[in-house]
Amino acid sequence: MGKSSKDKRDLYYRKAKEQGWRARSAFKLLQLNERFDLFSDIERVVDLCAAPGSWSQVLSRELFQKQDKKNAKIVSVDLQPMVPIEGVTTIQADITHPKTLQEILNVFGGEPADFVCSDGAPDVTGLHDLDEYIQAQLILAALQLTTCILKPGGKFVAKVFRGRDIDLLYAQLSYLFEQVICAKPRSSRGTSLEAFIVCLGYKPRAGWQPKLELNKSTEEFFRGSGIGKAENMQYLELPEDERLIAKFIACGDINDVDSDATYTLDTLDKIQSLNPVQLPTAPPYKRALELKRLGQANSKRV
Amino acid sequence: MPSNALSSVKEQSLQKLSHYGPVTSLKIFKSSLILAGYGPILKVYSVDKASNTTKLIFQKQVFGRNKIHSIAVSDEGKILVCGGRSFAVLKVDEEHCKLQVGSERAINEWIVSCAFLNETTALILNSHNTVYKIDVSQWDTEDQHFSLLEEVHCNEKSILYSGSIRILGNGDVYVAAGTVMNGVIIWNYHTKQILHNLTDHEGSIFGVKIDRNGKYVVSCSDDRSIKLYDLETAQLLATGWGHGSRIWNLDFFLQMDADVKIMSAGEDCTLRFWQYNQQESSLDQLELIENAHLGKHIWSSDIDDETLGLCVSGGADGKIRVHDLQNRGTLLSYSLVEISKQTGLTFQKNEIIKQYCELEVQTLFLTSHGQFFAMKANDSSFVKVTIPETLSKEFNNFGIMHGFKQSNSAIVCTRTGALLKIAFADEQEPSFEWIIESSSPNKVTNFLSYKGETSTYMFTDCPNPQIPFTFHILDHRLKIQKTLTLAQPERTFTSTFMHIDETNNWLFLGSRHATIAIYDLNSNSNANISLQVSAVFRKMCPGDTITSISFIEGNHNEATLLVTVRDGIYMYVKFSRVEDQEEFKFTILQENKLSKGFLEGAMIKDGSLIVYGFKSSHFYIWNETKQVEITNELCGGAHRKWELITYDEEADIDYKFIYINKSSLFFKTFKGRFTDANYGIINEGTHGREIRDIAISPVAYDDGNRLLLTASEDTTVRLSSVDTNGIITTYWCMNNHVSGMQKIAFINEEYAGSTAANEEFIIWKLSKLQASKVPVITEFARLPPSSDIPDLRIMDFTTIESTEGDIIVAAVYSDSSIKLWYLNTNTAQFVPLVEDRYTTCCILNVNFIKVKGQVLLVTGTTDGNVTIWDALECFLSTTDNTVTKLGPMLVKQQLHQSGVKALAIQYNDNDIHIFTGGDDNALVVSKLILSSNEVILEPISFVESAASSTITSISLVSTNKIFVTSVDQIIRLWTFNGEDLECDAATYTTVSDTGCSDAFSGTTNGTSLLFVGGAGLSVWK
Ligand SMILES: C[S@@+](CC[C@H](N)C(=O)[O-])C[C@H]1O[C@@H](n2cnc3c(N)ncnc32)[C@H](O)[C@@H]1O
Repeated sequence: MGKSSKDKRDLYYRKAKEQGWRARSAFKLLQLNERFDLFSDIERVVDLCAAPGSWSQVLSRELFQKQDKKNAKIVSVDLQPMVPIEGVTTIQADITHPKTLQEILNVFGGEPADFVCSDGAPDVTGLHDLDEYIQAQLILAALQLTTCILKPGGKFVAKVFRGRDIDLLYAQLSYLFEQVICAKPRSSRGTSLEAFIVCLGYKPRAGWQPKLELNKSTEEFFRGSGIGKAENMQYLELPEDERLIAKFIACGDINDVDSDATYTLDTLDKIQSLNPVQLPTAPPYKRALELKRLGQANSKRV
Repeated sequence: MPSNALSSVKEQSLQKLSHYGPVTSLKIFKSSLILAGYGPILKVYSVDKASNTTKLIFQKQVFGRNKIHSIAVSDEGKILVCGGRSFAVLKVDEEHCKLQVGSERAINEWIVSCAFLNETTALILNSHNTVYKIDVSQWDTEDQHFSLLEEVHCNEKSILYSGSIRILGNGDVYVAAGTVMNGVIIWNYHTKQILHNLTDHEGSIFGVKIDRNGKYVVSCSDDRSIKLYDLETAQLLATGWGHGSRIWNLDFFLQMDADVKIMSAGEDCTLRFWQYNQQESSLDQLELIENAHLGKHIWSSDIDDETLGLCVSGGADGKIRVHDLQNRGTLLSYSLVEISKQTGLTFQKNEIIKQYCELEVQTLFLTSHGQFFAMKANDSSFVKVTIPETLSKEFNNFGIMHGFKQSNSAIVCTRTGALLKIAFADEQEPSFEWIIESSSPNKVTNFLSYKGETSTYMFTDCPNPQIPFTFHILDHRLKIQKTLTLAQPERTFTSTFMHIDETNNWLFLGSRHATIAIYDLNSNSNANISLQVSAVFRKMCPGDTITSISFIEGNHNEATLLVTVRDGIYMYVKFSRVEDQEEFKFTILQENKLSKGFLEGAMIKDGSLIVYGFKSSHFYIWNETKQVEITNELCGGAHRKWELITYDEEADIDYKFIYINKSSLFFKTFKGRFTDANYGIINEGTHGREIRDIAISPVAYDDGNRLLLTASEDTTVRLSSVDTNGIITTYWCMNNHVSGMQKIAFINEEYAGSTAANEEFIIWKLSKLQASKVPVITEFARLPPSSDIPDLRIMDFTTIESTEGDIIVAAVYSDSSIKLWYLNTNTAQFVPLVEDRYTTCCILNVNFIKVKGQVLLVTGTTDGNVTIWDALECFLSTTDNTVTKLGPMLVKQQLHQSGVKALAIQYNDNDIHIFTGGDDNALVVSKLILSSNEVILEPISFVESAASSTITSISLVSTNKIFVTSVDQIIRLWTFNGEDLECDAATYTTVSDTGCSDAFSGTTNGTSLLFVGGAGLSVWK
């Protein structure tokens, strides 16, 4: 995507550019931290679905520069390649694959993590139930890693889309954390269903030993965990699902920039032409577009 | 156990009447039934091959929450439906006309595909590439005990976006799995071995199938290509490019003995048929059906080329359509050489066919050099029409010919306006007769005719504005009864189309610059004086040439006509005049612009508005009412001479299109196999993208029906009616907006308004045709944007009637602006009254409150506040021309943590309640206390978690009863008892992206209808 006039007038986009963040998403993590003090007492962090890397940048500045933690460890994972960030270990892989989770565990060498975050979002198809399912899989994959690596009392933050069945996820998380909050930073557009679950105080399930196995799916991993996930019933009856509404907290200063508003140019200071913060990687349909441009795609009608 | 008590409350008190939404799966069954997964509802249609009709025979909601995404059938006729984690077994009992439905069952995973291994065993492929083998033999017993026999996998449990199971005749079972990251995995169910991992695609695999003989694999992915493989060798055979966006469905044709053929469909709403030619690395696209559905996404399809000869498609627009694979009409073409051979005529080097007309048993042709020939209808042979040389030379280089089927004659006009009648009779040679001898030396540029009920009319014009037009009235045997001259309207007037209203004896002439002139044929019977024009309406709409005028309805002193303008506008215009007065008036009742190239004409056929014209190199015929293309012809582009002939129902063709391309003559005939069966639309639908707002007319018709306006992300506004059973009939799909829509609302019975991004704000005027009672809608006024590049969204608007009967409008913007105008209903002008600003945050809602001599303006904003201003002052100053600010801000009260997404105001006898719903899941009731010196907004009741997600709309149902939607897809009815909010009912809605609602209480029987919009539209009772 090139820069449209919309981008120019998106104040978060401009601020990100000014402050050197690779994406406006940085402000979401910053605003979450303002409210929930996520960055205190953390040293070892996993940033899932991290590309282009603004959350990793935030974490790296916070831990290495601000808190001056020499032993801090940040591991960032994404399907997409990422430009390296000082002090951050990057892995290019699919987080829904157990192999990837194993790789992350290996990097930590048996040490627990203090904080796991995931800002993952799949490409949406437009079939809302399918998109919600895939999103839930990303969260469950992150949760799977979390149960394997997070220290008791640790924190977990993940992007969610507040569609149908979000209350199932809230119910499941409530078994694993002291507090589960649905937080909406002001930098996240009010028109989007996006929000973040902030899970504080990890409490491992008594009597359940999370075990990563390469040929087990996420669903199989959680079997027997007792977190209220529906399992196959004896005669495959439709299970009663456990649902819970998490507390909602809007975060970020109310006087912060409103991501739904349109700002007129006179409210903006003049700055030079903006380039996209991070060039997007080539889309898979690039070739289809090329062929179309060349007029070689089949457009014949009979 | 943690629970969300608000997800299900007295569900039975809410009854779903109708639903229109994404068609998530389709399956043709036993060559006689079409099974459709219509969200959670299974619809079964029977197909009658003889009459080409389909009929809905059963429908049943089989799942509580999940949508049906795949359907499998067994040899004995069992049906397995799956979607989400749910599945169920069913059986159509044709003998007893019964649909036997098993209970909803579930596994713990998302289901990608399913199949029957045999009559008692189902295979279900889950999204982690594992096949559940399930014993379903108990499906029709009381307990319906299903048992999971085995979980079969190939040790590769990647997440799948797509997949299919193919059971071959020899008992082999293959699983084709489309992964997110790792291409296609083909594995053998029995051996659990991976056969192939096909990694040629880029991106996620959205569809993969194996043909029924087990020879080929076809797949599609995010890269928008289709790839065909040899199943045995995994060799990539060919790739198909062409889809403009993602492809969701692939199906092999059933008959693949001779050729390998594939159907594809997807996000771009096209259906494409492909053929694999050996040795070619590209799949050959055989056919393309564009605009098969509205908006975006064909979600489902199936094909039966073997027995039924049709395919079926289902869109996000909720439509299910069958498309004919057999009967495509005929295309005949003849070169001049061939015609010369048959007729014995010799054509000069530069001689071309200029004119043609269809008569009873032949089609007559005139060349540029004055030669005539005919094509016989019975054997399509060409014969020379012998014409005396003296006559022939009159038509050298000029001749306009019109045919009159009834009298089996043609009239040809010469350059000077003489009219030659050529009459055919049985097998004899035609006779020639001048019905008008050339009298004037003036040249003619156009010759128009009109065949009425009582007479036939002919008209010749003249480029010299001083010379009157000539007008003849003839009987049906084409004998001239009367000739008049018509004084030309002032300024140049190029006549392009003629229509006669015989009821009133008015002559309508269409011209350039969207101009229509009217002559009153009653007013002068003196043949010596030219008839003066009665009215000339110039620039009736944007655009240029009037291409057609035809009759819609009329009465004494009024005529409503269908008018088309070449630039794409069609309109219903009512021309009227008061008895005994000269002056004519016109009112546009309906006006819409199509983006379909040149619009050449329109007609009403079986209650549908049919339009036709040229778009790039094609000629198209489009059903505007049903929003489907009837046919198209690649004819090379707009033509100087072409003819569309329409036939009535009994004829064995619907349309004939005659044209010339590269000096050959083409005859394209078209017979739609499903034309009589609602154009193959077996289920009606709605918008092609998310519905953003819904409005129900404040007043019902006599029959209890109401008008329904919907505004969508697809930028269109649809005007429909809804009956008391919730059945929606759409009349118009208006294209006036070009940006994604925000709001739509009725202002009163006559006017409605709609807003969108890019500062679009339109006021609509609604009326009804007298005879057919069809509602019509036209743009009445449009707010001029405030800047050259308007990029503000107008988030909401509200209105209040002024004392003079005009309308005061308030609108709120995404940049925090608040503006008020005085809308003059005579001039349709917005006169600015107020320009003010809240803060810098986006305003989501606005309402007027008019009570006890006060006028207040209420807004809800993204910062969670409800703010109230005194607006009375701006009201009183409607007469002078200054733009002011709002009166003082009386209340600013934070009620929600973030955006106030929904706001409804209830007037009670003594007080006013404001209901608000937020992004923060909360529902708040506040009381507005008005005293002489202050205004207080006091929150009096509060439900913190009134939904598990954003509350998107609140509609008042009756006193203190509200209907609330939220994106958690639960709809709820709440009552405020004066102290607390109580949830009376809550149930799940299959409409996802649930974003808007409206409701009304029937005055007669007290039942309320509730409307829910989002990705689909549902009506509840
Ligand atoms: C919104 S972006 C993350 C932005 C990031 N937090 C930042 O601040 O720069 C979402 C990312 O999720 C990634 N993603 C989606 N599915 C994934 C998967 N299965 N495994 C790893 N990453 C995934 C996408 O590649 C995308 O880069």
